[in-house]
Amino acid sequence: MKKLVLVRRETPTRGGQPAAFLAGLIFALLVGALLLLVTGDPVLDVYERMWERSLGSTDTWSSTFNRAIPLALAGLAVSIAATMGLWNIGAEGQILFGATAATLVGRIFPDAPGPVLIILMLLAAAVGGALWALGPGLARAEIGVSEIITTLMLTEVAIRLITYLEQGPWKDPEGFGFPNVTARPEQAELGDLWDRTHIGVLIALAVIAGFAWFLNRSVWGYELRIAGSSAKTATYAGISMRRKVLGVMLLSGAVAGFAGGIELTGTAVRLNTQISNGYGFAGIIVAALALMRPSGVPFVALAFGAVQVGGQSIQTSLGVSPAVATILQALILFGAIGAAVFSNYRVQAVERQVVAT
Amino acid sequence: MILGVTFTEDAVIGLLVAAVQFGTLLYLAALGETISEKAGVLNLGVEGMMATGAAVGFIAGVETGSPWIGLIAGSAAGMLLSMLHAFTSVGLGADQVVSGLALTFLGLGFADFIGDGYTDDERRARFADVEIPGLDDIPYVGEILFRHSPVTYLAVISGIAAWFILNRTAAGLGLRAVGETASTADAAGHSVLRLRFVAVGIGGAFAGASGAYLTTYLVGSWSQNLTAGRGWIAIALVIFGAWRPGRVAIGALLFGFTLALKSRLVIFEIDFSPRLLDMAPYLLTIIVLVLISYRARNRPSPAPAAIGIPYRREER
Repeated sequence: MKKLVLVRRETPTRGGQPAAFLAGLIFALLVGALLLLVTGDPVLDVYERMWERSLGSTDTWSSTFNRAIPLALAGLAVSIAATMGLWNIGAEGQILFGATAATLVGRIFPDAPGPVLIILMLLAAAVGGALWALGPGLARAEIGVSEIITTLMLTEVAIRLITYLEQGPWKDPEGFGFPNVTARPEQAELGDLWDRTHIGVLIALAVIAGFAWFLNRSVWGYELRIAGSSAKTATYAGISMRRKVLGVMLLSGAVAGFAGGIELTGTAVRLNTQISNGYGFAGIIVAALALMRPSGVPFVALAFGAVQVGGQSIQTSLGVSPAVATILQALILFGAIGAAVFSNYRVQAVERQVVAT
Repeated sequence: MILGVTFTEDAVIGLLVAAVQFGTLLYLAALGETISEKAGVLNLGVEGMMATGAAVGFIAGVETGSPWIGLIAGSAAGMLLSMLHAFTSVGLGADQVVSGLALTFLGLGFADFIGDGYTDDERRARFADVEIPGLDDIPYVGEILFRHSPVTYLAVISGIAAWFILNRTAAGLGLRAVGETASTADAAGHSVLRLRFVAVGIGGAFAGASGAYLTTYLVGSWSQNLTAGRGWIAIALVIFGAWRPGRVAIGALLFGFTLALKSRLVIFEIDFSPRLLDMAPYLLTIIVLVLISYRARNRPSPAPAAIGIPYRREER
């Protein structure tokens, strides 16, 4: 009698993660097809439409690229925190508060020239995001409170803060009574590169490249990698774990908040609770699929942008719930997790009597 | 009158009744998560399992006309979802945080997907309140504690049963051992994988039941984002309750009270933006976690030691 066991490979297979991602995508599409079949939706039409409206035609590339920007920045934010083994699950809240801080700057300098205002708003967004991560960072660094819960709770707080601003202090006096925040100054809009693809694409890529360089080449990044892999070694080498934990949380928050600023100046007209649109949460999946490496983040973000944009299109044209996109994103991750096991392990049949030791 | 607010007797009793109702919601999910974490498996999918439990519970409830079937179906759906987490994180040894978050995503998406046509459904399948004979007549106490839906009583019974099984039976000892040092438990003859699968499954069933309680009693209807982050509060409650069913119950009542307070503001005629008070449960969670950690900073953590660590026998 034989049984199958997983045996660790001495070195992981080359190109394992892209392959795992592809496997995850196929798995997601298959399970998704099954779901659609059960509910009686036209599977091929749905997938065809999703492809057409995201990457399949040049007309819609802009939507996909614009969508990939906040996803990539959120993914970067999560992967920065992960260098120290931290989980910034609340990037969503930092995006929201970043956008709130940027809105505040827009309210203070409504008549500043566009470029100046944009730079100020983006800086404010980064500072706002860092501020929103400050509490969780301090609590984690000083007394070891799980950053998972605290960052998440602050996301809920940020949502309610914006709802409060919408209904009270920042309510648009010319909004016909609707609870909307006054629109940001018109001149604070990022220019388009081509079509509707805004310049945020370049900014995001630059930020990601900057961090990739920073993590791999700078002394601080080197210390980070040591501290992230072994607290003992780090302490021995005189690296302060507390300062690293706090620093990484602040940076992570700043990048997430920056994403909020990019959204406000790029695609959104005004601050609202939908401006983060789940990017913070999707960013965690993006980062996980990129194995927490900044270099992989843009590619996964682009793929997720396509799934999300495609998912929106099926509701209007085919009447299929856009939740299909959410399901697909989760399934890609599950499929990839399953597939990734095989880049680190191989399946071996062993005799039942021979117990592996 | 205190601070310009009139507290009528009925309003205060109503508030406390609502606190028990919201407490039931939180307790079911938190108790399940406690059991899962006791076996060493963190499941951040609670919010997603709750949402799916709510959608499935509503659909099964109104289609059959029975809230009981809704509750059971919602619970089963939560358990099925949790098996995916068990498969990837326990079976394949994937990161529990990533897998759990993906589960939340999947659960929220799935709930919206199947609930799509039921958003404006007027039908209801709601539990009726059951009065406990002899106890419901006690002044005040009877009204607050003994006139609830059957789910509340089930939650109390489940909590006592969980405490008993975890602390007084061999199976519970095995489960806790698996969550502390898996290799030792394995050497002692416990099947680490099986116990973890069971614990995650029980956790999923409770999370699903908690969601179904929303749609078969507390709210009564289905809508998107119905769970509104309460699944995350349930996870925080496990830390608050130091992984002990009894203390988790106290936490659930406390947080249930803050959730109830918000929904009862109108009754108290408080002139205060409910949006700001809306933040209270979440801010309170943070403050409480910080205080707990601060007090316990020099003591060993009450968390199960093996939490988050996958187990493979051949690599121990």
